[in-house]
Amino acid sequence: MDSLKTIARVTPAFALAVVLASGMASTALASPVKTEHVEAELVSERTALIPGKPVTLALRLKMAEGWHTYWRNPGDSGLPTTIAWKLPEGVGVGAIQWPAPRTLPTGPLVNYGYEGEVLLLTGLTVPRDAAPGSTYKFSARADWLVCKDVCIPEGADLDIVLPVSDHSDPYPQWGSAIAAVRAALPTPLQAWRVNARGDGARIALALTPPEGAPDPGPLYFFSYDEGRVEPSAKQVLTRDASGAYQLTLPAAIQLAPDFKRVAGVVTAGKGFVEDGERVAAVTVDVPLVGTVVAGAKSALAPSPTDAAAAQAASGSDLSLAAAVLLALIGGLILNLMPCVFPVLSLKALHLAQGHTVARVQRLQGIAFALGVVASFVALAGLLLALRAAGEQLGWGFQLQSPPVVIGLAVLFFVLALNLSGVFEFTSLVPSSAGDWTAKNPYVDSVLSGVLAVVIASPCTAPFMGAAMGFAFAQPAVVTLGIFVALGLGMSLPYALLAWFPGWRRWLPRPGAWMERLKQALAFPLYATVAWLVWVLGAQLDNDAVVRMLIALVVLALALWAWRVFKIGHGRAWAAVASVALVSALVVVWPLLRGDKDEPSAVTSAATGPWRAFTPTTVADLGSGGHPVFIDFTAAWCVTCQVNKRLVLNNTEVRDAFARRGVELVRADWTRRDPVITQALAALGRQGVPVYVLYRPGKSPLVLPEILNKQTVFDALATLDSVPSQTVTLK
Amino acid sequence: MMHPIRFLPLVLAFAAGAVAAASSTVAPDFALTDATGKTVKLSDYRGKYVVLEWTNPECPFVRKHYDSGNMQGLQKEWGARDVVWLAVNSTNQSSYEYKSPQQMGEWMRAKDAAPKAALIDGTSATGRTYGAKTTPHMFVVNPDGDVIYRGAIDDRRSTNPADAKSANNYVRAALSEALAGKPVTVASTAPYGCSVKY
Repeated sequence: MDSLKTIARVTPAFALAVVLASGMASTALASPVKTEHVEAELVSERTALIPGKPVTLALRLKMAEGWHTYWRNPGDSGLPTTIAWKLPEGVGVGAIQWPAPRTLPTGPLVNYGYEGEVLLLTGLTVPRDAAPGSTYKFSARADWLVCKDVCIPEGADLDIVLPVSDHSDPYPQWGSAIAAVRAALPTPLQAWRVNARGDGARIALALTPPEGAPDPGPLYFFSYDEGRVEPSAKQVLTRDASGAYQLTLPAAIQLAPDFKRVAGVVTAGKGFVEDGERVAAVTVDVPLVGTVVAGAKSALAPSPTDAAAAQAASGSDLSLAAAVLLALIGGLILNLMPCVFPVLSLKALHLAQGHTVARVQRLQGIAFALGVVASFVALAGLLLALRAAGEQLGWGFQLQSPPVVIGLAVLFFVLALNLSGVFEFTSLVPSSAGDWTAKNPYVDSVLSGVLAVVIASPCTAPFMGAAMGFAFAQPAVVTLGIFVALGLGMSLPYALLAWFPGWRRWLPRPGAWMERLKQALAFPLYATVAWLVWVLGAQLDNDAVVRMLIALVVLALALWAWRVFKIGHGRAWAAVASVALVSALVVVWPLLRGDKDEPSAVTSAATGPWRAFTPTTVADLGSGGHPVFIDFTAAWCVTCQVNKRLVLNNTEVRDAFARRGVELVRADWTRRDPVITQALAALGRQGVPVYVLYRPGKSPLVLPEILNKQTVFDALATLDSVPSQTVTLK
Repeated sequence: MMHPIRFLPLVLAFAAGAVAAASSTVAPDFALTDATGKTVKLSDYRGKYVVLEWTNPECPFVRKHYDSGNMQGLQKEWGARDVVWLAVNSTNQSSYEYKSPQQMGEWMRAKDAAPKAALIDGTSATGRTYGAKTTPHMFVVNPDGDVIYRGAIDDRRSTNPADAKSANNYVRAALSEALAGKPVTVASTAPYGCSVKY
């Protein structure tokens, strides 16, 4: 009873307290809801609702450090935040007014959203007949996806109660913040002219400033809709002669249909100045003139940062000019390669004999250079086209196919037999063809150029694989430019000799010694055949080597018998030649057909301490805390073989690997292997050799193409800063 | 000396060899390890319809479609009609969400999933080649090796498993049309989901 009396006595004070408390509750915000990564609440710009007037509420999301939520177009991945309102009778509600987003790169992808804290605004209207003194409760279900390395869908049921009054003040804590966000919301550009034009797989967004407008700085366009502009592709800003800013937007790879308008937000690094006010972001919404096609599919091809890292690690960051110069020198050096030198040097010596008019010779020199350059460009273009079509190929692809290796072995063998004097080409073909070439000397020269490239092709892969790999990591135009330089370099010595007859004084005088030289030069060609047969053996098996050698011997017999027939002996010799030729074909036929089979012999990948490469090798071995060294190699790659013999098989180097518990993996690219091509591409490389050291807890280290012992020791020394089990045991 | 015209046949043979060594297709071929350690190539299934499903068990959007039974249902529905369903996980092996073939296999078994194979793309190279952005991100390849649908699995962009049932499923629509010999109406949509962990 006493307690009741006490309550009765204090009732006026109690009632006051209740009123105050409820009054506070009606204007105070419910305390924020905390999810795992976000603090969320509904906040109001004003302290009270005025009947018939709009009010701005905001969903406030405060993300944990490093986490982000998404804009209305989330970019490459993600999901926009949504708000579902449950509102009292008569209250009107608008859509979310999104502040300008920022780009959020994750790996090669780009998302659009917010980090830190964001206020997503919504405008609501209170009915005109709302009674002052009453309260309104606004409820909302908010859902958002919050991501860092992982994505978590989160959500909360939120509400806010506001009193109706004829007067309101800025809400103490959030009023000015909401007002500032609203003032900064992107609004349409007033004084600028904007138009958009489709240009193939690009959209050209032109923004023409009014007289005297200051430079807005870097611009970025955020499309309202997905499937319009590719978020991860670079937007390029230029300024044309008329002073208009041209923002080139790469079209989406998965272009959505009905692309009629270009609508979105443009942010400016220095801001747009309009009516004396500087705004950081504006909206544009203009019709699209012309049509747009879907962007190319290579947007996620190894990211520039990966490629740059790989290049920095190997110290091969070539400028374009340096790459072209090196290609030119490389082309010159090609003349000295064992496969090319015999053929081209004899061709040059024939110039010295000077049977032809100087003018004709000059034009022949140019025709030869044209043939060489065109063939290199065609070969590079073929590879680019196949890659664009999705083939997993790199430079050296021409030697990854057994039929091509067989064809080249036959070509070199026939050339060598010719130099040895076993037969004459004139005896092989009808005389009409010889007459035809005599009548078309320039066509003949162009074809000489083509032939020179064909015989050079096996040499470009082994000696120049790394440089070619660089060439193919560049944009197509640069790649083709490098190949043009390579062709010019290769054809230069012959073309110069043809152009300046005076220079030929420096060549030795023709004479009987030329016949001996010719015979001597057959031997580098035989050596090339030996090497090609070895490559074939690595691609197929020992059986293939035997078939190839038998076919070559029988082919030699055929050519010899044919020559005997041609110099006037009986028809029986012609029959012998034909039978021998057919036999050679029959013997080699299974190898030509066998291209699609799996290699029947285990290649040199897994030998000794070396394991064969599989896509999960690094992860499997690395999960044990061991460093992993991968040797990307191929039998036809001479640089690879030299590095293997001199460095990787060296006892000191092997001991150094063993001491640090390095797992050794060999990726053999002698035959086409999409898995290895992909692994190379992931490293930003298109050819072999590549040497990579995967270090626990650190980024992979790419070693230079030309290895020496010290390079390997230095690379291994970088492991010592990581306490690995092996080291602590020692 | 030599008259190159006489080498023309050999030159042509060389060019033909190079071209034959690599016939072009629109859906790039790949060779990836499945949950049992076996190498699976896209070209193994030339002549059949193939669905490529980019997946990552750690992603809530993927879980939406597995927890609701939606993805397993599609795998069984179309597997029964001789469509080859390949789930590809391009999570880079440097990411802590990376799943080894064994882990991927166990997860698929636990979910009672029925893809033809669950493939591990630990270097992410296949994902990059295809331009896979999200999990899930779906590709439908026809028997000629052309991609006939690429994009989202359906039109309900959420992580709510209940949405999977009521959504318009783009993969089902594309396969239904293609198997009936009709052109695919919606061949490309913007995918939604978690980013692929490159």
